[in-house]
Amino acid sequence: MTRFCLMDVGSTYTKGCWVDTDQVGILAWASAPTTASTDINEGIQNVLNQLKTIYPDFNYESMRLCSSAKGGLRMVAIGLVEDLTLKAARMACANAGAKLVGAYSHKLNLQELKEIETLKPDIILLSGGTDGGNEEVVLHNAKKLAKLNIKLPILYAGNKSCQDEIHQILSEVNHDVRISANVMPSYGVLNVESARDQIRACFLEQIIEAKGLSTLTSIVQDIIMPTPASVLDALSLLAYGTKQEKGLGDLMAVDVGGATTDVYSLTSNQAPPSGVQIKGLIEPLVKRSVEGDLGLRISARHVLDLDSELQADEDLSLYVDKLTHEIHGSSNPRYDENLASTCVKIASRRHAGRLEQIYTSMGLETIQYGKDLRSVKTLIGIGGPIVYAVEPSHILNQVKQTEADILLPQTIEFILDKQYILSCLGLLAKTHPDWALKTMKHHLEKIHG
Amino acid sequence: METVVIGVIGADVHAVGNRIIEYALKQEGFNVVNLGVMVSQQEFLDAVIETNAKAVIVSSLYGHGELDCRGMGDRFIEAGYGHVLLFIGGNLVIGKTDFNEVEDKFKAMGFHRVFPPNSDINEGIERLKEDLLKS
Repeated sequence: MTRFCLMDVGSTYTKGCWVDTDQVGILAWASAPTTASTDINEGIQNVLNQLKTIYPDFNYESMRLCSSAKGGLRMVAIGLVEDLTLKAARMACANAGAKLVGAYSHKLNLQELKEIETLKPDIILLSGGTDGGNEEVVLHNAKKLAKLNIKLPILYAGNKSCQDEIHQILSEVNHDVRISANVMPSYGVLNVESARDQIRACFLEQIIEAKGLSTLTSIVQDIIMPTPASVLDALSLLAYGTKQEKGLGDLMAVDVGGATTDVYSLTSNQAPPSGVQIKGLIEPLVKRSVEGDLGLRISARHVLDLDSELQADEDLSLYVDKLTHEIHGSSNPRYDENLASTCVKIASRRHAGRLEQIYTSMGLETIQYGKDLRSVKTLIGIGGPIVYAVEPSHILNQVKQTEADILLPQTIEFILDKQYILSCLGLLAKTHPDWALKTMKHHLEKIHG
Repeated sequence: METVVIGVIGADVHAVGNRIIEYALKQEGFNVVNLGVMVSQQEFLDAVIETNAKAVIVSSLYGHGELDCRGMGDRFIEAGYGHVLLFIGGNLVIGKTDFNEVEDKFKAMGFHRVFPPNSDINEGIERLKEDLLKS
């Protein structure tokens, strides 16, 4: 099997790529407006029709698809301590391509349970306790979740000692219970891979149906995953390469949308600089963060509130007011670029690690929290607001380090995903890594900073 | 196998003694969560909550122990972990203060046992075992 049709559905435009893995490069692209409110199949059919019209010999053996339709994969994370197991649970959700709609620590109360019922997430990730550690709180939370009035998949990724008990508590009331390895098996050690894989599997088996996307399974033969998960697979391949084909090395990517800004970082193992003490959870080499309050449309007002320089621009403020009232109103590229710059600036600073210097009786000591991204040499811009900006480099420049204590890259090369290929090619990252990597390198475009 | 959380509190970077404590506790079969140096009160508490540790051994070598440990016992009680044993040792105050005074001061802060400089770690572990049996 060499001919694939790769689809990215659910965002403003449904995008399709036609590829033949016998030859490097993409045979054809097409896109059509998504009609999520009616039927997302319409967008897919429109893309297929376009491809058929332009290329009479259009044919494929398999269709693969990633989806952010109906709000993407919406999850609630529950942990014990905010900075430990809850943080680990958040990272597992983000790396699985989910959007976190709620996060809870310590013992759940009835009010929070009601909130979860209102939020109606697709999956709940329940964690808490290191292996052999705290059982009391996760057991309490499992019993509370058993009382939920809605039935939904619950993934348990906490203390392994009470795994069986929790499975029983939740399956007795007919929740779809899944178990993965603990997201924090011992203090400060993160293990998100097992939970991430379970979330992806659950998305494939259950969520597609629950979101009314099941009609897709008649035309989509094998792989369906959340769009950010596919992007992350593509970026991993691009950074780390394969045995045959070298990757680009440590990289970052940013994607600004209407409601959220995603930041990705893929780094290699590195020892902290000598004399620096690392504090908090050791973050994963492959990290995705989603900022739910930074976006160009739904969250535009909030973005303006965060940036005093932008606030001073009265015309921009009026523009944002208009956006809040009419989501589909006409857009102003220059204003959007300014808003996107602020989104990228804030989101990348939240994503990166930081240094703190403390004067002690032994002299000046340095503590590092989070990831050191100073060695990153490549930044990829994804998504319409960056790709179609008048000056994409103006937005991407915001990722550069400006404060000495924020561990962002100092010198960095920019690449644009102009044809939106990352989300589609991520679908072939696991099965055709060499081809996918060569094709990405072929199509991604370097721009000057 | 009981879990014990250990670390050096405050802005103190003396790492060696804390390593020796880790080694000695492991030899005795304890599960040790070593938070390293420059550990805050909240970090000790968070580690106890997640790992269900039964005891905390705090080290302080640089003379500011009193400032760093103020309110620690109350913090554990407030969080519902007042039953966790709190031990402390090292050079807890600057100068030659009578150790009985130092001990009283730290016991008032909620520490169950206070060890003077040059204490034998093995003796400390014996006290820990006795106290764990009682708790």
